[in-house]
Amino acid sequence: MTLSFIFLNSTLKAILLAILGLPNPTFYMSLFLMLLAASYLLVKNRISLQFIWNPTAAKKSLIEDVLKQLYHVELSQRTTDLKMLSGALDVPLKRTVRVIESMHKQNLITSEDAHLALTNDGRSYALKIIRIHRLWEKYLSERTGFDKSLWHDLAEAKEHQLTAAQANELYESLGRPRFDPHGDPIPTELGEIIEIISTPLASLGVNTIAKIVHIEDEPKSIYRQIIKKKLHIGSHIKIIATNNLKIIFESEGQIFEFSTVVASNINALALNEQDIYEQNKIRLSALNVGETATITGISSECRGANRRRLLDLGFIKGTPLEMEYAGPNQNPRAYKIRNTLIALRNDQADLILIEKK
Amino acid sequence: MKIDKTQELLNLASELRWQVGEGFHDTLIEGIYADAADIAQKVEIKQGSVPKFSFERQLDQILTSKRFGFPIMILVLSIILWLTIQGANYPSGLLSTLFLEIIYPFLKSLSSQVGLPWWMDGFLLDGVYLALGWVISVMLPPMAIFFPLFTLLEDFGYLPRVAFNLDSAFKRSGAHGKQALTMSMGWGCNAAGVIATRIIDSPRERLIAIITNNFSLCNGRWPTQILIATIFIGALVPDHFSTLLSTLAVILVALLGVGFTFLSSWMLSRTVLKGEVSTFALELPPYRPPRIWSTLYTSLIDRTLIVLWRAMVFAAPAGAVIWLISNIPIGDQSMANQTIDWMDGFGLFFGLNGVILLAYMVAIPANEIVIPTILMLTVAHLDLLGVGVGDGVMFELDSAAQTGEILRAGGWTLLTGINLMLFSLLHNPCSTTIFTIYQETKSWKWTTIASVMPIVFGFIVTFIVAQLWGLFA
Amino acid sequence: MTELKACDSCALNNTAQLQKLGINVDNTDFVVALAGNPNTGKSTVFNALTGLKQHTGNWPGKTVTRAEGGYSYENKKIKLIDLPGTYSLLSTSQDEEIARNFILFGKPDVTIIVVDAARIERNLNLVLQILEITDRAVLCLNLMDESKRHGIDIDDRTLSKELGIPVVKCSAIKKEGIPELLKTIHQVATREIICQPHRISGLSTSAQKMVEELEARVKQHYPALPNSRWIAMRLLDGDQHIIDALKNGEFETAISL
Repeated sequence: MTLSFIFLNSTLKAILLAILGLPNPTFYMSLFLMLLAASYLLVKNRISLQFIWNPTAAKKSLIEDVLKQLYHVELSQRTTDLKMLSGALDVPLKRTVRVIESMHKQNLITSEDAHLALTNDGRSYALKIIRIHRLWEKYLSERTGFDKSLWHDLAEAKEHQLTAAQANELYESLGRPRFDPHGDPIPTELGEIIEIISTPLASLGVNTIAKIVHIEDEPKSIYRQIIKKKLHIGSHIKIIATNNLKIIFESEGQIFEFSTVVASNINALALNEQDIYEQNKIRLSALNVGETATITGISSECRGANRRRLLDLGFIKGTPLEMEYAGPNQNPRAYKIRNTLIALRNDQADLILIEKK
Repeated sequence: MKIDKTQELLNLASELRWQVGEGFHDTLIEGIYADAADIAQKVEIKQGSVPKFSFERQLDQILTSKRFGFPIMILVLSIILWLTIQGANYPSGLLSTLFLEIIYPFLKSLSSQVGLPWWMDGFLLDGVYLALGWVISVMLPPMAIFFPLFTLLEDFGYLPRVAFNLDSAFKRSGAHGKQALTMSMGWGCNAAGVIATRIIDSPRERLIAIITNNFSLCNGRWPTQILIATIFIGALVPDHFSTLLSTLAVILVALLGVGFTFLSSWMLSRTVLKGEVSTFALELPPYRPPRIWSTLYTSLIDRTLIVLWRAMVFAAPAGAVIWLISNIPIGDQSMANQTIDWMDGFGLFFGLNGVILLAYMVAIPANEIVIPTILMLTVAHLDLLGVGVGDGVMFELDSAAQTGEILRAGGWTLLTGINLMLFSLLHNPCSTTIFTIYQETKSWKWTTIASVMPIVFGFIVTFIVAQLWGLFA
Repeated sequence: MTELKACDSCALNNTAQLQKLGINVDNTDFVVALAGNPNTGKSTVFNALTGLKQHTGNWPGKTVTRAEGGYSYENKKIKLIDLPGTYSLLSTSQDEEIARNFILFGKPDVTIIVVDAARIERNLNLVLQILEITDRAVLCLNLMDESKRHGIDIDDRTLSKELGIPVVKCSAIKKEGIPELLKTIHQVATREIICQPHRISGLSTSAQKMVEELEARVKQHYPALPNSRWIAMRLLDGDQHIIDALKNGEFETAISL
């Protein structure tokens, strides 16, 4: 016992002496702060730093970005040249020239005059990247809690990292989805893509009944405006008025007003007359205390765990419910459904569609 | 062979899944509920006039109303906290008399009769036993009062209404209304608060609640706050105002903790946790009369004793370490004194000192023993005669005034007092809580974040206060 | 009754599986699981059966880790496992996974499903899901007193006929109906009562057809699996856990082909 105590004693002493021999904690503190600052800078400038620590990956990313950009140019039947490309991608002209040269060598692009275009190889490569991008957005929307304004940027980074095999695995585990959460088609493994024929909102006439099928997530500032107004993909709309400056329409019991610039980023599919326009469909959030209604469905914008949770709680087509009371701040609100009081936040209630009794 | 079979099955499943489309889950649940409605309709017999659930409805109207909702909540919470702090005084005193004034001397005399070597006597009795005695007598009574009261409210069905009322406030910082409850539970004990986050069924919000629970001032820290506020802040004003002022200071610190809960929840939900899945649903169950006796019994077993046991497991070695560092000399000084001298300059940056930093390092297992450790270290460091019981023996004094004298002799100023109160709020969780966080999250990442984040806040806040103090005072 | 034979012979395997789930089955004749929605007084039923004071809170999702207790009935030792209260087994939240895995892989001898008699339609969602997984269950219609106060009574015979499992009316707080419940559990555990559980029939025809097609394939590969239809539904829903379990061969060990 005494021996072990002496042993313990001397070990502890040795350790402590070793520590005491080192500089004061103030030193460590400053060291720690410096490390913190360094790592912050590193994270913040990851993309430009990539050129220093992993030039191959950085070059690959740039090539893929160029391909994507050219694909979009091709799709919208425009043309582009080196300068425009360098501007669109926000990459110095010098570096763009270098990457274009190497892409020429790899037979990914051709050029006529100054116009750049995709070769068949280049197009199928572009579609591969687009496939990963859209699959990843789908994944983010179904399996994670990232806000939808973040999906695009995250997918922009991920599309350069996943291999085709990993993308396939993702495709399978997501149940072979056909569309990404913005309503864009996901190219197949073989590079087939069914571009949907939809009309920009701005070109729909008054009284047209349509369904929102696509909300473009770029540029970000416009996308944020659309998100803020809580317009949902899959919603039925009816155009009330339209002119050169703005478009006004009605959807789910609410009036929306967008400038033409913003509205050009929203696409809709005009509905036939036999498609019933559920004019009485409104959002659950519009129900007042004491009112009763029947659920007509959950918006397709309610995804993943949130959707499953609502379904489990019995928020199902055809179920009657009553708005029982609102909290002190009107949010959340308590609904009586299947004889149980369930409180939902208003942004959840926005995604549940009802018909008032 | 089997792999192929499975693969073939999965391929077919994938194929069919593609055909059935994305809406299968909806279809499935709709199908189940259709069956359920069908069966329910066949078996439910509604008898005569169905009374509306009017009592519940009216109670809900009051408890969630704009006018009464918040006042009732604050009233109920204040009553519980008051009952806990006041009610715990007496049994705490009793226990501490029993453990420290009756059993401890008895064990001491027993050990000298048996002839235990001095170091074993010191290690076991002055170290391990005293730490345990302290933790039990400070921790047990408040928990034994707080948890049953809380559980009664829970059983009655009031707590979901609190979550309902407060959800909008918590939503703003990315958290769940139920965090109001786990936060309150944290005022009793952070480890229990962390366990209570199980009621939050959304992964992201649950992690937020776990990581930020430490900002609730737990009952191991209330006594520290009250003592230091009495000594340093109460002394600023005439005697008859001193209780009022020091109480206000403690409440302010607790509210600062709430502020930090919101701030860090907001930060977490927008940074490291932004990708975690987040859902919301809050069932407001019917009110049911609580069963008092079984609640008292079970909350004692379920919460109090489990947490107490964990705390004891962690406190015992801490006691041993405290005794050891004070009694193992290096050169002509004890390890403790060496370390204190070494850290003193660093501590002064933050308006603290070496004693406080060392006390927080060795008292990680339990906040309850921080003050006794500080006192012991101060006395040993100053080599004061006539106070204390000996090197490595934690002690507390009966009067705040005496404690104040010792601390002032140790060079404490008003700034040290204020910064100790802040640091007591903003430092790493006790090891019981850290262990519980690991148990609940099974993740080193979240455990590390939960442990490190508060202490970073603590250093930042005390640093700012100390520097401002230096500028203006 | 192929599954009967399969299970009589696989007693050892089931034990191993239970031990993997952390259940000590020494000195135990039957393992009984307790499932139900939150706020149905599930834990009160648990206490009434075992006498162990386990906390019963008025809180959704209280029991996330399993609570265990035991009792004996007619010289048989029974281990009772309290599963987390859930609304469903499909959302794959943490508690739902615990409950689901226990019923699926732990294969308890009996699963008691506690139901709030006043909210039967909502509760049947979980009941019907559980009945797709296991064919040995007892429905405990709890909170009968509260339900009657609200003017709702339940025709338990029709309910039993509809669900294909025994139904016992209870008021666990007042200890009413507990002897009957104990007896029924015993009868199901000893196969005195053979359940013929209800299978979900409300699916749309096209979905129904696909479930059947996939179920046929599951049956072909895993003939001894009693819940092939449920597996088929989970696969169609893309349940990653079930897919992984198939890949890892967890089902094979669970059913011991």
